[in-house]
Amino acid sequence: MRLTPVARALGVAAALSPLPVCSAVAQSDTWALINARIQTVTRGVIDKGTVVIRKGLIEAVGASVPVPADARVLDLMGKTVSPGLLDLTSSLGLAAPAAGGGGGGAGGGAAAATQSPGGPRPGLDPERDAARELKVSPGDIKPVRDLGITAVLVSPSRGLFRGASALVPLRDSVTAADIIRAPVAMHMGYQGVPGDYPGTLLGVITYQRQSFYDAQRQALLLDRYKASPRGMARPENDASLDALVPVVRGQLPLFIEANSENEIRRAIRLAREFNLKPTIVGATEGFEALDALGGSSAIVSVNFPQPAQTTRWSYRLSQRRPLGDSAAAAREAQKMIEGNAATLQKSGIRFALASGGSRDFIPNVRKAIAAGLPANVALESVTIRAAELAGAGEILGSIEAGKIANLVISNGDILSDSARVSGVFVDGIRYEVAPPPAARTAGGNGAGNVPPAQVGGTWAMNMTSPQGPMDITMTITQSGTSFSGTMTSMMGTNDISEGQITGRTATWSMNLQFGGQSITLSYRGEVDGNKMTGTAELGSFGSATFTAERKP
Amino acid sequence: MRYAHFLALPLAAGALAAQVPARPDSARPAAPPVLSIPIPPAGTLVAITNATILTASHGTIEKGTIVIRNGKIAAIGKDLAVPAGAQVIDGNGKYVMPGIIDAHSHSAGEAINEGSRSITAQVRMQDVLREDAIGLYRELAGGVTTLNILHGSANTIGGQNAVVKIRWGLPIDSMLLAGAPPGIKFALGENVRQTNGPQIPGRPQRYPRTRMGQEEVLRDAFTRAREYQAEWKAYEEARKLVKKGQLEPIPPARDLQLDALVEVLEGKRLVHAHSYRSDEILMLLKVAKDFGFRVASLQHVLEGYKIADEIAAAGTGASTFADNWAYKLEAYDAIPFNAALMAERGVKVSINSDSDERARRLYQEAAKAMKYGGASEEEALRMITLNAAWQLGIDKLTGSIDIGKDADLAIFNGHPFAPASRVEMTLIDGRVFFDRNKAPTLEALIEMLKRRPRPNTTSGGAQ
Repeated sequence: MRLTPVARALGVAAALSPLPVCSAVAQSDTWALINARIQTVTRGVIDKGTVVIRKGLIEAVGASVPVPADARVLDLMGKTVSPGLLDLTSSLGLAAPAAGGGGGGAGGGAAAATQSPGGPRPGLDPERDAARELKVSPGDIKPVRDLGITAVLVSPSRGLFRGASALVPLRDSVTAADIIRAPVAMHMGYQGVPGDYPGTLLGVITYQRQSFYDAQRQALLLDRYKASPRGMARPENDASLDALVPVVRGQLPLFIEANSENEIRRAIRLAREFNLKPTIVGATEGFEALDALGGSSAIVSVNFPQPAQTTRWSYRLSQRRPLGDSAAAAREAQKMIEGNAATLQKSGIRFALASGGSRDFIPNVRKAIAAGLPANVALESVTIRAAELAGAGEILGSIEAGKIANLVISNGDILSDSARVSGVFVDGIRYEVAPPPAARTAGGNGAGNVPPAQVGGTWAMNMTSPQGPMDITMTITQSGTSFSGTMTSMMGTNDISEGQITGRTATWSMNLQFGGQSITLSYRGEVDGNKMTGTAELGSFGSATFTAERKP
Repeated sequence: MRYAHFLALPLAAGALAAQVPARPDSARPAAPPVLSIPIPPAGTLVAITNATILTASHGTIEKGTIVIRNGKIAAIGKDLAVPAGAQVIDGNGKYVMPGIIDAHSHSAGEAINEGSRSITAQVRMQDVLREDAIGLYRELAGGVTTLNILHGSANTIGGQNAVVKIRWGLPIDSMLLAGAPPGIKFALGENVRQTNGPQIPGRPQRYPRTRMGQEEVLRDAFTRAREYQAEWKAYEEARKLVKKGQLEPIPPARDLQLDALVEVLEGKRLVHAHSYRSDEILMLLKVAKDFGFRVASLQHVLEGYKIADEIAAAGTGASTFADNWAYKLEAYDAIPFNAALMAERGVKVSINSDSDERARRLYQEAAKAMKYGGASEEEALRMITLNAAWQLGIDKLTGSIDIGKDADLAIFNGHPFAPASRVEMTLIDGRVFFDRNKAPTLEALIEMLKRRPRPNTTSGGAQ
């Protein structure tokens, strides 16, 4: 049935009116997006068609779909509608772990049990549940959603047992009631508890192994008790163990954040000891571990760390620094890192792409495409494949009748360089996206036209790390777009290495000998005249933020 | 492809060769610095001919031949016919000795010390190794074929060791020596005491603070291990009594820490104990005797000469430094004659590196036992081969040039104990994992460096 001209006019007027979104929802939950180029992802492209949304779901999609009488009509002539994007590496709405760690385990007694936590120790809590902790404000959500991301998988970002994740739709006032799916997976990683057990990689892996044995036994006890409780001591109520029971039973997927080649191999090896197939999250050096990744799925982060931030590259580069052109080597390494997804694709490994915490998620996906990843695979990797890995392939990730109405509207293909998001639907709720301010577009892609920042001189830096604040004096000599120098703090004086300027961004690293181990600290700062702000990755000590000011 | 790593491992000479453009004056851009670590082919039949063979077990054979079949030594002797089809390595003017075994290494570990608890018997070096550690290649170039990679000495009972053969180019899992019995690191004395200092403010200090406490930690640990062992034995007994249709008994909770200690009690896991002073060593031997296990090796053991008879009587090996006297508080009584004196009293002595650097020249360290204390040439040779193999429980597999053993060999251009000699080739299981003629020489390296543009060295660069 065709709309009467009046109804259509009313619909278009409604769509164009500057009314706040909430009142628009009150008018009707039925939408017809007409004249749109529809990128369904799973069923090809419809050059000019209609998507009908009703009660948060896609009711119909096609080239000649009738527009329902009660629908508000949005004429998307010249625009492309794609499935809303997903990011499976988010910590949105979760409180950051408390700094410095908690209680001390069993002190004094030599015979302390192998791993009785004895107090809250961040990162050692598989019982954490993102769905229960979720607390988001519209202010957190809008910048992410404006990129075209309509759902995120939320999990704590650090620790060796991080807890269960939840797939969250990016509606303005999302609560636990709106969650698409939870628990999605148990999340693990390789950060220990500095100064306590497990403090090093040695302890971390063993702790994970022991926990799986403990969980296997807990599963056995629970089964036995359920079958025949009489005459049997009841199994202990242990929230940590109970949270791992579905994992060892193979009922809850295991997501292990593993970025370096060795981490990837270790993750897969440990999982195999317990007959588990983990999904590798991050996989920065997946291209070095293709054989190990075969048969596993991966969530590949496109946060593109500096080479020095990955253990393998930092090792290589620190070793060759006195001999070679480290800047050229770093550029080569960067190319390999950006080409990671393309390499995995060529090897037939199925993966989703994710932000890895980077604010440049979509621009970085474009870099992965530039490095050889076919654009259609890239699009699948941020839509249907991501949905499938989150266990929501039936309800999300493509434009098909019956799926959740998470959509993104852009001019041109959403992943093309010139694409701009003009609107988003989440659960059928429309959110308009204002065009970015002119200044930002000028800065745009790459720093090609921006002269390199000047960082030479002496800087007073204040860093806030999980271990507390620290004052650092930094002396820098710049030569073109590279720089060297020293950093002096209570930890002594150390040389800066890999100092690079790209536009206004300065990156460098530093090797620290600490407690018999060598740690590479990686810094990234935005330079604004005589001021700099940024972040630092401190290896197993977590991450830090800093501000710095150039001394006159 | 898997091992086609790019970005060279510098000073690994082969790497530099790949990294330095062949024609620096060429207008073409240099190829990306791709390094692929070559994996040597597994030769089935190899013959090393006409060489001076230092067997370490039955003297020296002049102008001898070694035949290697499927990675094992098949024949040794003068006037041996070279089998048809064998890959021949001309040993004329060369010295062949067993591949060097370093009984104390920390190479290739991404973590060394889980010192957060006094007992971390549950952690495994095997979990944290990386096959691209440059130290491995340098050791291979120094004739080393086997390493005992140990946990650090921060706590009384440290982690589980990994015995590896340096099969450079292969994944780390393929380097693990399958036939080696598992081991564990213990540590006594100052390192344990002094790493109890404040670590993170607010965290309790780790027990113990004295050597008295270290003994208590050991006795307490093995008492618990005995109880745990009994628990499992009771479970196994109960299982045997289960009749058809009855429920199986519930097994005890598995404890990875106590598992390792029970293996020590049962003689299945070898104890390698970091120790310096005679009093602490006697304490450990007494604890081991009380609990019925043998200490496989004392590591460092710089006061071992004072109690050599007691060490020999306990069937314990001693793995020591060639010198390092008075380098720390508990080494004040150390003397350079230690290795030779212990050997004279019947202790199986090895000389270890405890250092990626020293590991490259263990043959020179062994020579010092001849100079200080007058060990015989073969005795000194055994200190870096057969005796180390015995301490690691792998002397049936490797450690000497004997028929049936793995063909782990180091070929030198002169006598290994002569100061200017160097390793020409290192073979593991009959495969050539290091060949100096195929790796650039130091001279070639210097030439290549001269032709390269100088890097900016104003900041010093060194750490």
